[in-house]
Amino acid sequence: MTRRRTARALTAFALATLPLAATAGELNILTWEGYADPSFIKPFEEASGCTVSATYVGSNDDFAAKLAAGGGVYDVITPSLDTVGMMRLAGFVDPIDTAAVTGSDGVYPEFSKHPEIVVDGETWAVPLIWGSVSVIYRPDKVTGTPDSIGVLFDPAYKGKISLWDDKSAIYWTARYLGFPNIFDLNDEQLEAVKAKLIEQKPLIRKYWSSAGELTDLMANNEVWVSNAWTGLTSKDVNALGKGFTVAEFSPKEKAEGWMDSMMLVKGTPNQECAVKFMSYMQSPEGQCGIAKSTGYFPVNPGAVSSCMDAAMKEERKVDNIDFVKSLVMWQQPVRLDKYLEVWNAVKAAP
Amino acid sequence: MRRPSSSMLMTAGLFSLPLGWALLLLIVPYILMIAVGFWTRQFPLFVPDFQFGNYLQLFSDPQYTTVILRTLKIAAMVTGCALILGYPLAYFLVFTIRSDKLRNLVYMAVIVPLWVSYLLRAYTWKIILGTDGALNSALMSLGLIDAPLDAFLYNQTAMVITLTYIFVPFMVMPIYAVLENIPKGLIEASEDLGIGPLGTFRHVIAPLSLGGVVAGAMMTFCLSFGDFVAPVLVGGPDGTMVANLLQTQFGAALNWPLGSALATLVLIMVLAILAVTGWAERASARNLR
Amino acid sequence: MSSRPIVTLDGVTKSFGSFKALHETSFSIGEGEFVTLLGPSGCGKTTTLRLIGGFELPTTGKIGIAGQDVTHNPPYRRPVNTVFQDYALFPHMTVAENVAYGLTVRGSTVARSDIPRQVGEVLEMVGLSHMGGKRPGALSGGQKQRVAMARALIRKPRVLLLDEPLSALDVKLREVMQVELKRLHRELGITFLMVTHDQTEALALSNRIVVMEAGRIRQIGTPNDLYDRPATPYVADFIGATNLIEARYEGREAGFEVITLPGGAKLRRKASGNGFHPGSEVLIGIRPEHLSPAVGDNLVQGRVVDTLFHGDSIRLEFLPDGATQPAFAQLARGSSLSADALMPGQPIRFAVAPEDVMLFPKVAA
Repeated sequence: MTRRRTARALTAFALATLPLAATAGELNILTWEGYADPSFIKPFEEASGCTVSATYVGSNDDFAAKLAAGGGVYDVITPSLDTVGMMRLAGFVDPIDTAAVTGSDGVYPEFSKHPEIVVDGETWAVPLIWGSVSVIYRPDKVTGTPDSIGVLFDPAYKGKISLWDDKSAIYWTARYLGFPNIFDLNDEQLEAVKAKLIEQKPLIRKYWSSAGELTDLMANNEVWVSNAWTGLTSKDVNALGKGFTVAEFSPKEKAEGWMDSMMLVKGTPNQECAVKFMSYMQSPEGQCGIAKSTGYFPVNPGAVSSCMDAAMKEERKVDNIDFVKSLVMWQQPVRLDKYLEVWNAVKAAP
Repeated sequence: MRRPSSSMLMTAGLFSLPLGWALLLLIVPYILMIAVGFWTRQFPLFVPDFQFGNYLQLFSDPQYTTVILRTLKIAAMVTGCALILGYPLAYFLVFTIRSDKLRNLVYMAVIVPLWVSYLLRAYTWKIILGTDGALNSALMSLGLIDAPLDAFLYNQTAMVITLTYIFVPFMVMPIYAVLENIPKGLIEASEDLGIGPLGTFRHVIAPLSLGGVVAGAMMTFCLSFGDFVAPVLVGGPDGTMVANLLQTQFGAALNWPLGSALATLVLIMVLAILAVTGWAERASARNLR
Repeated sequence: MSSRPIVTLDGVTKSFGSFKALHETSFSIGEGEFVTLLGPSGCGKTTTLRLIGGFELPTTGKIGIAGQDVTHNPPYRRPVNTVFQDYALFPHMTVAENVAYGLTVRGSTVARSDIPRQVGEVLEMVGLSHMGGKRPGALSGGQKQRVAMARALIRKPRVLLLDEPLSALDVKLREVMQVELKRLHRELGITFLMVTHDQTEALALSNRIVVMEAGRIRQIGTPNDLYDRPATPYVADFIGATNLIEARYEGREAGFEVITLPGGAKLRRKASGNGFHPGSEVLIGIRPEHLSPAVGDNLVQGRVVDTLFHGDSIRLEFLPDGATQPAFAQLARGSSLSADALMPGQPIRFAVAPEDVMLFPKVAA
C-alpha cells in the first residue's frame, strides 16, 4: 500500500516538473530579430492555437551555444545555411518530413535541395528567407558614393565605424585584402586578416551584436558606417525620422549572401505546432509577413505573387535567384574553431 | 521498525535543505567546472579527457593574459574611484550630518539604487554619455564645446564611470559601518591633544577605518572583476573583460573546456584576493584589540 | 579665591535644540586650584566641562582661559587637556604612542628627539614606566586611567579637565587613585577642574566645589563652607546627608531662634539673622551625625522604623513625631542605647546642639 502510494507520488512529482515541455499548443523559437513579428505571428497563433514565444540570437554561433546549454527549451531554430550542417552533426535536430510542410515544394530548388539541407536522402531544414549583408552608411557624413569595403577601414571615419560582432568580420577583411578563399584561409592569411582587424580597432566605435544595437548606434549619431543585414537596419533607422537617412550598397568586393531555414529541435514535444509553423511560413501570409517585417528576400516566389507589387518583387529579387551568384554565400569555414579564435583574439586585443 | 522521533526528523529536515542546496548548487557545479577544464574541444562539441592543453593555451596565447590584465586594471580603477567617492561620502554621513533623520535619508539614497535593476542603471549611463547624450548637450549649451565629443562613451573610461556608479554603495556600506563605530571620544581626544582635523583624520580616523576600506575595496574589486554588462553596454572595442571572454567561450566559441579552465583560473584569482584581504582585515582588527 | 583667575565663564549658556543644558552661568577658577563640578547626572556639569574643553560652543556668553578669549576656539587651540570618562585611549597605538601623541602636533616646541625622554618621564610619574610597549586593550582600568592622565599631562596644560575620571574604577582602586590625583595636583601645581557626581570624592579632593542642579550653579565654596553653611536644602542634602523636616518659625528668644516641630516640640537654633517672619513655614536641616542619643534639652522625638548595621556605625531610621518623611541618625557602635530600645516602633529621642540646626525657606520641591 505504502509502496504504491510512493510510486503514485513520484509519478505526480515527475509530471509536475515537466509542464513546459509537455504542454501542447506551444512553440518556442530560437531565431533572429524581425522573424517573430506580431504582424504575421498573431494571425498564426489565432489560426493554429499555438502560442509562440521567441528568443533572439545575435549570431549563428549562438545556436549551438544555446542548444548545448540545455536545448529542451526550444522547438524550432532558424540558423543560416553555413550552420545547418553543424546542427545536424551535433545531434541537435531531427530530420523533417517535407510532405507534411505545406507549400515547401514552392521553394527555390537551389535552396530546398542544397547539399547542406538534403543529406543522404533526408531533409534537415525548410528554407525561410534569404538576403545579403551589405554596407550601411550616412550619405550626409560619408563623402562621395562609397563602393568598397575600404570605407570600413577609412581613417577619415575614425570613431564612427561599426562592425558586426561575428566571425564574418574575417570574411569581410579577407575580401578587402583580396583573398578569394574566404572560408578556407590558411594560417598566413588568417594572421594578415587578424593584423588588419586589430589595425582597424582604433577606428571602431563599437562592435554591434544585435540589429537593435546597430539601429541605436546609427540613430543616435554614434556611427556613420557599418556592415549590416541588408534591408532591416536601414528600414528601421529611416522609419525613426531622425532628420537624416541611411543608405546601403553592395561593395565591389561583393556582398555576402545568406539563407536562413527552419530546423526541428531533436525530440521536441511540440512537433505538431512546429510543422504548422513551418507550413504557415511558406504561405503568402508567412512569406510576405517576414519579408516585409525584415526587408529580406522571400524563398517561396509562388507564395508572394499575390501579396507583393511589381516594384517590391523587383527589390526583393523575386524569381531572381540568379542574384545569388553576385553574392558570396556563407559556408561553414573549414576551420571554424580557428576562425572563432582569431575573431576572439581581435576582440581581446588592446 | 522503530519510528524516528519527530525531533530527529525535524533536525534532519532543517539541515538537509541548506546542505543539499550547497551540495547541488555550489559544490557539484564547481567540481564539474574544474573537471571540464581538462576536457578537449572536438568539433562540433567536446569530449571528456584529462589534459592541461586548455591551461597551456590560457598562458601562451596573449589574448587571455591581455584581457586578464585589463580586467585587473579596470577593477583596480573602479575600486580606486569608488574609494575616492565612497569614503568622503561615508565620512560626511557619519561626522558632518548632525540630524539622524537626514543621515538615514542620505544613507538610504545611497543604498536604494541597489534595488533598481542593474541593467537599467548601466543603460542610463549610455544615455548620459552618448554622442547625443545629456553630458554632450549640457557641455554644448554651456558653450564649452562646439560639437559633441565621442570621448565619453564606448571606452574604458565609460566602463570605469558606470561600474563605479553601480558598485559605490558596496564601498560606502562597510566604511560607513566602521566610521560609525569609531567612538566620538577618540576624535575629541585627538583634538584635545592639539591635533587639528587633518591630523586627527590621518592618525586616528584613517587607521581605525582601514578594516572597512579593505572590506569595501574587496567587494568592489571582486564585483567589477566579474562584471560583463558594462563592457557590452558602454565599453568600446577595447573593453572585453574576463567575464565576456567566459561568455564567449561558453557561447559563440562553444569551447566549454577552455571556458572552464579560464573560470577555474578566475576562481583561484578571486580566492587569492579574498585570502589577502582577509589577512589584511584580521591584521587591522588585531591592531585594535 | 586668592590666586588670579585662569578660567572664567561670563554669562555662558548652552542649549541643545529647545533643551537648556546650561542656564546663564558665570564663575572663575584660580590658578593652581582643584575645583570640582558636582551634581547628579543631567545637572549641566559635563556640559560646562565640555564648553571649557571646546567640544561644545556656548550658545551665549564668553569663556576665557589664561587671559585669552577662547569662546570660539576649537579644542586644539586651547591650553587645556582632558582626561575622558572612558579614557578614550587610541586602540591602534601603544601606551607610549598614546602618550607621545600630543607632542607630535605640527609646530610643537618639543624636539622630536626629546619625545621618548618626556614620554618616559611622564609614564614614570604615573607609575607605568614598564608598560610603554603595550596596547590599551591589554591594560586594566586603573592602568588605562594613568595612561589617560599621562597623555594629557605631557602637554603641560594650564588646566587639566577631568571628566568623572574615577567613575569606572572599583571602590578600592578609586581610593588609591584619589590619593594619586591629589599628589599629582600638588606636585605639578597646575589647575585641575574635575567633574563628578560623587560628593565624597569632591569633598576629599577639592579646594572648591561648584554644586550644580538642573543647569544652574547652586553654590560655590570650599568643602567646609558647603558642609557647614549649605545655601539650600538641596546643597545640604547633596553635600553629606541632611534630614529635612518641615517646621514653623516662631521668632527670636534670648539669642536663639525658636522653631516648632510638626509634633509640637520646640527646637532652639543659634540665631544667624534670617529674614523670616514669625509664623512662616520653614525647613530645618539636621545632619544624621549631629543627632546624639544623649539626653539634653533640645530634642527631636520620634519612633524607630529600622536599623542598618554599617560596620563602624549604626544607621537608624526613625519617623519624627508629626513628620511624613523618615529621618536618619548615625550612632556609634556601643552607644548607650540597648538593643530593645532600637526595636521598630520604640519611642526614641535625640538631642541636637543649637548651632547644628540649619534653617531654610520652604520651597516647592
